[in-house]
Amino acid sequence: MSGLYVHVPFCLTRCGYCDFNAYTGLDHLRSRYVRALLREAELAGAAWPEPVETVFVGGGTPTTLAAEDLAALLVALRERYRVPPGAEVTVEANPDTVDVGKLVVLRESGATRLSMGAQSFDPTVLASLERVHGPDAVRRAMAAAREAGFEDVNLDLIYGAEGETLASWQRTLREAIALGPEHVSAYALTVEPGTPLGRAVALGLRRPPDPDLQADMFALACELLGEAGYRHYEVSNWARPGRECRHNLGYWRRRPYLGLGAGAHSFRGERRWWNVRPPEEYLRRVEAGELPIGGEERLGPEQAHLEEVLLRLRILEGVPASWAEPRAVEPLLDAGLLREQGASLVPTERGMLLLNELVLALAG
Amino acid sequence: MYQGRYAPERPAGAAAPYDGLAVTETSRIRNFCIIAHIDHGKSTLADRLLELTHAVSEREMREQYLDKMDLERERGITIKAQAVRLTHELGGQTYELNLIDTPGHVDFTYEVSRSLAACEGAVLLVDAAQGIEAQTLANFHLARDAGLTIVPVVNKIDLPAADVEGTRRDLAELVGCDPSEVLAVSGKTGAGVPELLEAVIRRVPPPQGRREDPLRALIFDSTFDPYRGVIAYVRVKDGVLRSHARLHAMAVDLDWEAEEVGVFAPEATPVQELGPGEVGYLVTSLKDVHLVRVGDTTPVQGRGRAREPLPGYREPKPMVWSGLFPAEGGDYTALRDALEKLKLNDAALVFEPETSSALGFGFRCGFLGLLHMDIVKERLEREFGLELIATAPNVEFHVIRGDRTIVVHNPSEMPPPGTYDRVEEPVVLATIITPAEYLGAVLELCQARRGEMMDMKYLSTTRVEVHYLLPLAEIIFDFFDQLKSRTRGYASLDYEPWGYEPADLVRVDILLHGEPVDAFSSVVHREKAYRYGRTMVERLRELIPRQLFDGAIQAAIGSRIIARETVKAKRKDVLAKCYGGDVTRKRKLLEQQKRGKERLRRVGRVDVPQEAFIAALRVDEGERR
Repeated sequence: MSGLYVHVPFCLTRCGYCDFNAYTGLDHLRSRYVRALLREAELAGAAWPEPVETVFVGGGTPTTLAAEDLAALLVALRERYRVPPGAEVTVEANPDTVDVGKLVVLRESGATRLSMGAQSFDPTVLASLERVHGPDAVRRAMAAAREAGFEDVNLDLIYGAEGETLASWQRTLREAIALGPEHVSAYALTVEPGTPLGRAVALGLRRPPDPDLQADMFALACELLGEAGYRHYEVSNWARPGRECRHNLGYWRRRPYLGLGAGAHSFRGERRWWNVRPPEEYLRRVEAGELPIGGEERLGPEQAHLEEVLLRLRILEGVPASWAEPRAVEPLLDAGLLREQGASLVPTERGMLLLNELVLALAG
Repeated sequence: MYQGRYAPERPAGAAAPYDGLAVTETSRIRNFCIIAHIDHGKSTLADRLLELTHAVSEREMREQYLDKMDLERERGITIKAQAVRLTHELGGQTYELNLIDTPGHVDFTYEVSRSLAACEGAVLLVDAAQGIEAQTLANFHLARDAGLTIVPVVNKIDLPAADVEGTRRDLAELVGCDPSEVLAVSGKTGAGVPELLEAVIRRVPPPQGRREDPLRALIFDSTFDPYRGVIAYVRVKDGVLRSHARLHAMAVDLDWEAEEVGVFAPEATPVQELGPGEVGYLVTSLKDVHLVRVGDTTPVQGRGRAREPLPGYREPKPMVWSGLFPAEGGDYTALRDALEKLKLNDAALVFEPETSSALGFGFRCGFLGLLHMDIVKERLEREFGLELIATAPNVEFHVIRGDRTIVVHNPSEMPPPGTYDRVEEPVVLATIITPAEYLGAVLELCQARRGEMMDMKYLSTTRVEVHYLLPLAEIIFDFFDQLKSRTRGYASLDYEPWGYEPADLVRVDILLHGEPVDAFSSVVHREKAYRYGRTMVERLRELIPRQLFDGAIQAAIGSRIIARETVKAKRKDVLAKCYGGDVTRKRKLLEQQKRGKERLRRVGRVDVPQEAFIAALRVDEGERR
């Protein structure tokens, strides 16, 4: 079982908080880039014989590509890789870059799941996040997705932007729930160094998110999404039963995955490797018939263990109690950050917010 | 003459002098030092003396030539006494002038007194623009008490602001001489320096002492050379000190051999012998500087050995104590070795092992004052590459219980309240000289520091000399800075130990989550306890990162809590996103966080970063006001 990730590094605008490998102003490279993806799929495919049960086209904004290009890509991947029936094929979409027509093409070329960057339903929060779409665009895109036959839709939300209050976040959650997505991802806004937001915070021009308010927002998300029938299955992810994102679960369960596209990451066994990040360099390498690998690492047992603990705690599967020192565990149980579930130690809701502490305590 | 079985092969009378440095008759020897308030131009004047006597060629000359150590040159102060031999001709006679350098900071008064013990005369130097300052007085009294002939000199006469005549009058009055006997020089231009040399020769008496007497030499300083062992600076009082003589250290009752005898001219130059009154160095080949105790007398062994030691001088006594701990626990041995090496050159430094529950293994060190402490700490960090945490400095307290006196160097050793009769703290007699217009500000400062005025006298219509009894603890931190800022830099300060006085002192403990942190305990006056406690808990609240639980930071006297702050429990510490497959970066962030944790010190349940200890313990100005 394995996963396939395809990275599309183009965006209409750059959001101040985003530190993904995404670019504006490279639109002229789009068709070359799609051809390169197909070429890389050929080059890398030889060494990837196992079935690919999940495909995730992310970015950037994949839906900035023309519908035909995306369709061609999906079809080519199915031809090159062993994608069994019933595979999960997700495409990330920006509400402003989709309409029914485009979504129908995606659906027909094999996409089963749509992940939409809604972020917020509060216009001031969207402005603060430098998102160009308004709340109505999300509603329209959602309706279009349903009309095109998508039965599996995720809404991405971000909480803790400057100006957002607990009340505003509550409205966003209620609006999101009202649209009836199968899956909700809610991320605490993180100030990443090297982003415009990171620089503005470092210069004191913008306030960093208040971690206590974000903790309250997290608790509210747990409460409202739980009440609405979504199961909390990863720190930042909720889903209707059976609608968990299988592709992301693959990352978290340390299953092999192959990444195609600029800056995409791959993993198998003890090896993690990644492609070069700049799209131009990626194009040059692939067009020269080379694998565009930019770096790799071999995991030692200690690193693998740390990852295992980190990821198992994130998806609330917990780690076997036998992995950790009782001396390290007891204060965390007492503090209500961990709970025992059979022979496993699982983070509580409060514990999820302090996951870094838990990981370090348990991975020792 | 000494006739022991270890006598040198050649009789002293026939000794061929090395490098033209002849054994000089005592009548043509002058041993003198220059004493001055800090910044009154002592080192610059010494440079001129070196030039004028051709001790250093123009090419070799560099500023503050005698201040050899980097640290001294940067701070513009002298901390090691140095002895230089100069030769000067006057009236057809060649004189040997031994200039014993002295430090100019109040922390190092004891080094002044040890240098004075090697001299017969002292040049009392006063800046013509500044006038007589507190240390001028202190040093003058030390020199006069040591029986030295004083040569009063007004320096910096080239300055536009110089008041040569006024300063001359003041100096004459202080020394008790005619104003015409006060010399006027400029260390900068060299004006008046030849006349000063002549005055030293004419006024300072030659040393007493006879070649025939048993050897008695005073060690007035020592230094450690990794290749040669301990090198002692000596002043021969009686007899002759010969190369390869077998010697005896009276204070430690030890026999050893003088491997080499020499003089600083100004670089070390071997000689065959040092006669009575001469000043030079002695290579001992001993590896332990403590065996060559400064102030000790070194007679030769065997028959004819002197029985009576020379009178010593004021022993250096640590006034300020602080715990030094390596930031990396593994550096304990390195710190011990470094302290031992420093001690070789610094008789005033004392240390003993100390164990802190918060900071681990380290040393409680005694210093002469805060400057001395800073210099030692800086040298440990700079020369030995150690990263250190220093606890807040404290004075030595006496805890009286019945007829027992418990000496407390460390606040954490202070017994709990109610278990003793009283506490006594060291008190100093401070001399402050200030322009009259700032007198009010000075008195206000002294009162605020629990001072008791002893007397006050107008030196002139514009300058006042005040004497205060002040608790040492009140002046070692920022008193001098405060004094300077309230008098626009015009007031000067000197102080000398006065004794111990009872005081209402209490130990303030700082508790983290109910656990006392020994490194933060401090003994303070009861009236200032609340403010100290408040400052510390507020400072720590800023410095201690949020933990997994609410953390109380408390200040307490005994079991009574006087201040409290809470570090709210941390609620969020999680990487929001973990997808896109870049697990490497997430793992690296966690590994970084883990490394950060390894630099935390755990106190009870609270993790305290190294930096918090350093920042919380930093002596700053606002704290003690």
